[in-house]
Amino acid sequence: MSIQNPIVNVSVATNSFRGAGARIWARGLFLLAVGAPLMFFPASARGQATDTPQAAPSVVQTDVKLVIGGETIKNNAQGTLSVVGSSLQFATGKAKVEVKASSILDISTNEDSRQDITGAAKVVTMAIPYGGGRVLSLFSHGVDVLTLEFTDANGGYHGMVFVLYKGQGAPFKKQLVAMGAKASVPLAEPAPTNK
Amino acid sequence: MKHHTRAAVSVIFRIVLACAPLLIVGSLWGQPGPGDSKSAQKFSASSIQIERMDPGDVPMPPEFRVAIYEHLITEIGKTGKFQHVYRSGDKDAASAPDLVTLRTTAQSFRKGSQKQREVTTVSGSSSIILKVNITDHAGKTLVDRNVEGKVRFFGENLRATYDFSKKVAAIVQDSF
Repeated sequence: MSIQNPIVNVSVATNSFRGAGARIWARGLFLLAVGAPLMFFPASARGQATDTPQAAPSVVQTDVKLVIGGETIKNNAQGTLSVVGSSLQFATGKAKVEVKASSILDISTNEDSRQDITGAAKVVTMAIPYGGGRVLSLFSHGVDVLTLEFTDANGGYHGMVFVLYKGQGAPFKKQLVAMGAKASVPLAEPAPTNK
Repeated sequence: MKHHTRAAVSVIFRIVLACAPLLIVGSLWGQPGPGDSKSAQKFSASSIQIERMDPGDVPMPPEFRVAIYEHLITEIGKTGKFQHVYRSGDKDAASAPDLVTLRTTAQSFRKGSQKQREVTTVSGSSSIILKVNITDHAGKTLVDRNVEGKVRFFGENLRATYDFSKKVAAIVQDSF
């Protein structure tokens, strides 16, 4: 009895192994069937990944001024500029504009300077006697001007001008060019340091 | 009776003679000059397409080119003279029946300096001069003139592009 039992047990065990193997095969085949389209069409899979709204922005800059070109955003609005997925995005508290990197005809950065005192405060400085207001005009800071030229879905030409802190324009240009944006002037490489 | 008639005719004749020089002077005074003749003629079109600015040989920073274009789109739209203001390259413009096209070509550009302007008040002005050309569907020139945009004292250099666009919008307002 003690000898027969193991035989019975072995047969039961083999049957259970056969059933488990079949289940694993079935699962493997199912995964293969589901995964095969993804393996054969990697571009579409990548496209789905980049189009997801949850994609983390790769370059972000706050306190950016949109000088002109925001269709739904007023000129000189302050907001956050970021590269999200394959697009450049500018968002204020109320609205958002997005430009696909592939639609950019030209992107350029330029250095300029802006007055430290602007707006209503500027008007107030005019009242300072003995030309004090003029002296205050001497105070300015360097900025980067980022200019985009792109087309909309209908082929219409658009332009946008952003003002960023000094040195912040180049990362955006570099990132967008890497994603397919065109640039008539290539990004200047940093000068090699002599050690 | 005949004597009275002759006297009346002679009086009227003298009055006409006296008034003739005044009429001649008045008609010459009232004639529109060569500059006015352009604005006096009115054209009609339901839509306009604004082409990209041609910088020509003038070195102009891209932000100025873009600002000129975007200000033109806004300011010409504000005139209310056209049902549609098409951007350059817009596919829908091809089907517009009486489309006119606005082209701008840079003639000169001086960037200036906001700091210099505000400190000295006499130097550092920004100035752009562009040739503005409007043609009809057949290519006939309707408007062709140079327009200057400038900032003399207050404001950033890019404000010259706004000044230019306001002047072009005023020309469009007078011409259509």
